[in-house]
Amino acid sequence: MRKLAFVAPAWLYVAVFYLYPLATNVRMGFQDFTVTSFYTGVAPFVGLRNYREVFRDPAFAGTVTNTVLFTAGSLLLQFGIGLALAVFFKRNFPLGGALRSLLLVPWLLPLVVSGTAWRWILETDSGVLNRTLLNLHLVSEPVPWLASTDLSLTAVTLVNVWVGIPFNMVILYGGLQAIPAELYEAAQLDGAGAWQRFRRVTLPLLRPVTTVVLTLGLIYTLKVFDVIMVLTQGGPADSSQTLTTFSYDLSFQQLAFGHGAAVGNLLVLVAVVFAIGYLRAERRTP
Amino acid sequence: MKTALGVSILAVMLFPLYWMLNASLLPSTELIQPEPTWLPIHGTLDGYRNALQSQGGHLLTSLYVALGTVAVTLAVAVPAAYGLAQLGAPLGRTLLFALLVAQMIPGIVMANAFYVAANELYLINTPIALILADSTLCVPFAVLILHAFMRGIPAEIREAAALDGASSLRALRSVILPVSRNAVITASLFSFLFAWADFLYAVTLTTRDEAAPITVGIYRFIGAHISDWNSVMATGVIASLPVAVLLVVAQRYVAAGITSGSVKD
Amino acid sequence: MKRLTAAAAAFAALAVLSACGDGAGTAKDDTGTLTEIDYYEAAPQNTQLPKLLDACGTEVGVKIEHQQVPRAQFMPKLLQQASARTLPDLALVDNPDLPQLAASGGLVPLKELSTEGLYPSIVTAGQYKGDTYGIAAGVNGLALYYNQDLFSAAGLQPPKTWDELTAAAKALTKGTRYGIAFSAVGTEEGSFQFEPFFWTAGANLKQLDSPEAIKALTLWKDLVDGKAASRSVVTWTQADVNDQFMAGNAAMMVNGPWQLPTLNAKQGLKFGIVPIPIPAPTAKPVTPLGGEMWTVGRSNPERERKALAVLKCLLGKDKSLEWSTAAGYIPSNQAAAAALAQSNPQLAAFVEEVATAQARTADLGTDYPKTSEALFNAIQSCLAGGKSPQEALKAAQASVK
Repeated sequence: MRKLAFVAPAWLYVAVFYLYPLATNVRMGFQDFTVTSFYTGVAPFVGLRNYREVFRDPAFAGTVTNTVLFTAGSLLLQFGIGLALAVFFKRNFPLGGALRSLLLVPWLLPLVVSGTAWRWILETDSGVLNRTLLNLHLVSEPVPWLASTDLSLTAVTLVNVWVGIPFNMVILYGGLQAIPAELYEAAQLDGAGAWQRFRRVTLPLLRPVTTVVLTLGLIYTLKVFDVIMVLTQGGPADSSQTLTTFSYDLSFQQLAFGHGAAVGNLLVLVAVVFAIGYLRAERRTP
Repeated sequence: MKTALGVSILAVMLFPLYWMLNASLLPSTELIQPEPTWLPIHGTLDGYRNALQSQGGHLLTSLYVALGTVAVTLAVAVPAAYGLAQLGAPLGRTLLFALLVAQMIPGIVMANAFYVAANELYLINTPIALILADSTLCVPFAVLILHAFMRGIPAEIREAAALDGASSLRALRSVILPVSRNAVITASLFSFLFAWADFLYAVTLTTRDEAAPITVGIYRFIGAHISDWNSVMATGVIASLPVAVLLVVAQRYVAAGITSGSVKD
Repeated sequence: MKRLTAAAAAFAALAVLSACGDGAGTAKDDTGTLTEIDYYEAAPQNTQLPKLLDACGTEVGVKIEHQQVPRAQFMPKLLQQASARTLPDLALVDNPDLPQLAASGGLVPLKELSTEGLYPSIVTAGQYKGDTYGIAAGVNGLALYYNQDLFSAAGLQPPKTWDELTAAAKALTKGTRYGIAFSAVGTEEGSFQFEPFFWTAGANLKQLDSPEAIKALTLWKDLVDGKAASRSVVTWTQADVNDQFMAGNAAMMVNGPWQLPTLNAKQGLKFGIVPIPIPAPTAKPVTPLGGEMWTVGRSNPERERKALAVLKCLLGKDKSLEWSTAAGYIPSNQAAAAALAQSNPQLAAFVEEVATAQARTADLGTDYPKTSEALFNAIQSCLAGGKSPQEALKAAQASVK
């Protein structure tokens, strides 16, 4: 099979690099895995006990809600702003290319560093954001962005949107480039306005790229770890804890590795559901 | 006019980075003063002096690892995406599914497995271990993106090449690749950035300071200067400058694609 | 495009070549080199430790490969090494983590090393099921730092009791300056900072919602609600707290002796140190014992013997005193600590506290991490989430049952 030769390396790659870690994690979810297990390699199987205990954990329900809000908010704003910027930068203007590529610069910094800059900006008393809002009389007293259980999730979501915009913009921009200019010309001749052209030409033809950006965005957002760890460590009082940081917290703060693995597996399950959704959506596109 | 708007968008997006630059020029205690200092008028270059002395080697390692990751990623992803999108290779959808799900495996679990494997293979502290580990962040992404773009290429283009007697491999090289140049550059760019910014695998697979890439270098540097934030931020600025230049250069390739018309190429 | 592909191929080839030349796995049968790991991310600890290791390595006749990883990566890294059976010969672990690691069987019992003359709490913290697995060269505790200029300008004396603490904090809160700073961050650091108040009030980690515990949390809540401490305390690490104090944003702070080298280097800052205030003049102060312990990982008899020899050198009188002085720690040897307190008055408050300090794992052993998590979550939901101390601690107690 000639065709198989092209995909064989990718299959081999999946088998070598992902299969073993995935199997390990699935197995750990059914085991009472302790610090000792790492050394001895022995961990008793406990059936679904880890899952039962995770579901009963008082922090679990709030964590699921946070994850949904964080993911939906991030995805919506990242994609919306990313698409708007992609459309904007598609028009040719002086320095456009350079400006577009500079938008990627935030990605070059480890989040340890840019996250720290954000912490200063969002600091309640001395942060530049609160100073600006106060000076513009938009608020009457400093907003505790990271220091309140009501706002911390909003704050980490906004920072995550900031991180995600360049990714969305660049890929959507690439998708826009692939749309033949003749189609726009034809639509214009038919008397379609700018908004009509966007709805009738851009959106449908961008659909394969849109689907992949949203699916990848969803998975990357579910996986977000550094942003939250640097800004709030999931706090205060778990108010910005998502399933990913919760899994890490169970494993390495509480040393309950079986529980951590169980939460990790729930996330894999979510990915399975959305992967099926992606394949469906993908089949429907021409 | 549009340039002005573009500049303002950029200014908003890059404000946190400006704030870092500002911080890198300020003495540490000014950073948390109640009235923020907007311009580093009383600037100090101490941070840069400190940072320059220590991070050069780490920058090179990062560059090397990131380019290696791009190479490995493209080597796996381009043929796979082509096979799936254009040739209808069997089990294609299963592969896409597997790649999507694979990305959800917790990073720390991957890191544990890689550490054990790299240790057995005597690859700890080698760039090859980092390249392979970092490529796992990029391959699924690259296959999906390339697949999404290559599906949009009309089959007639490839069939025309086949009529001319070109093999599937030659059709890929001489017809499909040039047409999907934008997608390849996008995939390469992000593979580069994923590898450049990776911290977890870097700290897992290196034990010696000499072998560590820039992310770990910066982290150690933060530690050594925890109350000396201007040095830390200076390192951040220095770390991002060379690659920022690279980005501006790379966008020329994308720009070239625009003018020649991507599908007609 | 072709050029791009060619360049990529060339890089791949280079990567493979370099990998062949640089192979460097840790061969376990090599006894000329020992490996060491610690999480000291900050100066002066991370600059001083390698020097000491080199000196002791030379003395024993062995090369020591030093590795430092971030605190958050320390446990994951040790566990990876445990599963690959390549535990480092020497590891400097945080004392609450010791029981877990000792339980794994990967550590060598330190039978040959004497713990005579060390603070009893330190010896206890290093034990698991009757055997000693970890010994600290230096330890630390928490005390109250105060800004002398601000105190004398206000005509105040450093506080001794909780009432005096609250009164001083309120009196010194002015404009953008808060009376006091402490860390209530959502990690072990937050629990560590709260425990002096918690224990001194008479509370016990086995009962998180006791009236004494509620009293301690009420003290913190009143400070934050009364605006004498910033709401940001829930996001500040102990290093952030130190920055706030140095910048003059807080008149007092709760912190450890490891900040002394940094504080002493800051010009124009005059500060004093007193023990953590107590609820009533008759209360017995109890603070948590802080600091890291040296452990020896299992390998082969020859390596273990050399690692023990290095450890003996590190724990020796000269070296442990040298380490304590340079890194801002209290020697774990009682006589050495007393001598140091005499010669260095800055350390007197800390030495006084370490004498009555309690190991965090003394009551709970391997269950400590879970309880600590419940405790810092309760602190955070009380300070940042509007819950009353009663509600918050009750929820915490329910979650550890």
